[in-house]
Amino acid sequence: MNGTLRKYFAVFFKEAIDNLRDRRTLLTVLVFGPLFGPLFYTVMMQTVINRQVADLDQSYTVAVRGLDFAPGLMQYLDQHNLKVEAAPLDARDEVKTGKLDVVLVIPPGYASAFAAGQPADVQLLFDKSRESAGKNVDRVRDALEGYSQGVGALRLLARGVDPRAAVPIVVESEDISTPQSRAVLLLGMMPYFLLFAAILGAFYLAIDSTAGERERGSLEPLLTTAVPRSTLVLGKLSAVTLFSAVSLSIDIIALLWCQHLIPAAKVGISVDFTPANAFATLLVCLPFCLFIAGLLSVVASFTKSYKEAQTWLSFIMILPMVPVLGMVMFPMEPAWWMMLLPSMSQDVLVTELIKGEPLKPLFVSLSVLSTLILGGGLSGLAVWLYRREQILG
Amino acid sequence: MIEVINLKKGFGSVQAVQGVSFTARDGRITGLLGPNGAGKSTTLRIISTVLKPGSGNVKVDGIDVVTDSNSARLGLGVLPHQSGLYPRLTARENIRYYGELNGVSGAALTRRIDELLELLEIGEFADRAAKGFSQGQKIKVALARAMVHSPRNLVLDEPTNGLDVMATRALRALIRKLKDAGHCVLFSSHVMQEVAALCDGIVIIAEGRIVAQGSPDELRRQTGESDLEEAFVKLCGAEGAA
Repeated sequence: MNGTLRKYFAVFFKEAIDNLRDRRTLLTVLVFGPLFGPLFYTVMMQTVINRQVADLDQSYTVAVRGLDFAPGLMQYLDQHNLKVEAAPLDARDEVKTGKLDVVLVIPPGYASAFAAGQPADVQLLFDKSRESAGKNVDRVRDALEGYSQGVGALRLLARGVDPRAAVPIVVESEDISTPQSRAVLLLGMMPYFLLFAAILGAFYLAIDSTAGERERGSLEPLLTTAVPRSTLVLGKLSAVTLFSAVSLSIDIIALLWCQHLIPAAKVGISVDFTPANAFATLLVCLPFCLFIAGLLSVVASFTKSYKEAQTWLSFIMILPMVPVLGMVMFPMEPAWWMMLLPSMSQDVLVTELIKGEPLKPLFVSLSVLSTLILGGGLSGLAVWLYRREQILG
Repeated sequence: MIEVINLKKGFGSVQAVQGVSFTARDGRITGLLGPNGAGKSTTLRIISTVLKPGSGNVKVDGIDVVTDSNSARLGLGVLPHQSGLYPRLTARENIRYYGELNGVSGAALTRRIDELLELLEIGEFADRAAKGFSQGQKIKVALARAMVHSPRNLVLDEPTNGLDVMATRALRALIRKLKDAGHCVLFSSHVMQEVAALCDGIVIIAEGRIVAQGSPDELRRQTGESDLEEAFVKLCGAEGAA
């Protein structure tokens, strides 16, 4: 092994071993960074899906005022899994305070209007600002409309009119999404978690090996050793990249495992993130590890202390999230220009992988190349910063 | 041998070093003496290649520190103002890292580390993390680290700072040992007694300029003072020495 290469590995292993002994860095790289997102998300999705599915099976008891005026309707509701009970007198207040989701009011004139074949008024009391009530309101409304249409059709038949005459247009909706492509609804947050893990994995080591080194006073003697600055910086950057990649890998493995814990089939979604796709995801995201290592190291070289670096880097951590969140708010079709932006390109490509769609080779090469070129540029900038005497602060 | 030739260095509008020239020879202990802020550390940092001179030149064993920094570094062992050990690495690992960075490796490195552990009496705490070291222990390890590649020249920035009497005596004995082994030792201090007790040659620096240089006897003769401390005060100006 030649001398420079040996020095490169000396720096690389020293940074890796030194930081493996730091409990905070270790926990961040192995636990908080990679596991928080997938676990939190899995638990959340489990809760949401299980509640939705359970609700539709369960009967709901709807409070009705004046239930004696409409025995036919009451029977219909009961047949459609909606129990009825007499509403309390202060029904309006109960809805306001959220004790009742919805109250059905049948006025005394209902029976006579119904019997005369006139439109009979009923009232629904609900609070639209309470989102959790929405589902039950819709159930009651759907049941009322069903009853109304059924009775209407019977009336037309009784008058010798084909009820279909009252239905001039039938809208047929066909959802052409596949169970797998719908997985993106569930796993849309995944690219975000991946990039977050990659950033957090790099975070402490990037600070420790630059601003931390300066603050401890170990940078000055380090710079008196016979190591070319480029070798020194590249050794450090490699260690930061490795930590970022380890965190990313753990996150991918966690997602691979967590997907089976989400009861996606219950809502007609098939999550099929295969090991092959997981491996492709890792390869697509690896260049981002180098990029973020370069970015964090350059910023940490500017700052005077560990604390200052931490402040700046917390802000920098948000920047790569901007394109990801942008895609959530303004969904766009994948386009080639997106491949030029690190974090956005990885977000787009990983989303395609989750949908189970094949990746376009042009997109992948553009993403890998642009991210690597920018990462290389930042590494060069870091080397340049280390060559200036101002690096000592 | 370290040759400093008309060295100048400014930071913004402040001229920290304004034309310093001296030579520290092999087999001799040279003391750079001066009040705080006189430009001692800046001079030593330029010699140890972490700062670039504004103008002038430094040669280590004839090698230019600016144009051929890496070769010059191989001939230099530097003990900076702060020991700057890695707290999570052991003493041995700290020393080993610098050995590897300076191109020593394998069995030769292991042998050299054992030698230094013995010379500096580090053995007892060689495999403990540096985090809990006393000031004396830190200096010893930092010194071993500076010497791991067997440099001919040693640059020590206020090495006795924060050391107790016993540790100071041990360090002085070690510096004498290095001198006897033919090393060129250059160290800075703002304590007259220390320089007087150790040095073969003294360079007195104040406000970025050299105000006197020579052996202790020559300095006494030059100022007409029998006490070196008086000579120092006279040379620096009463205010500078305060």
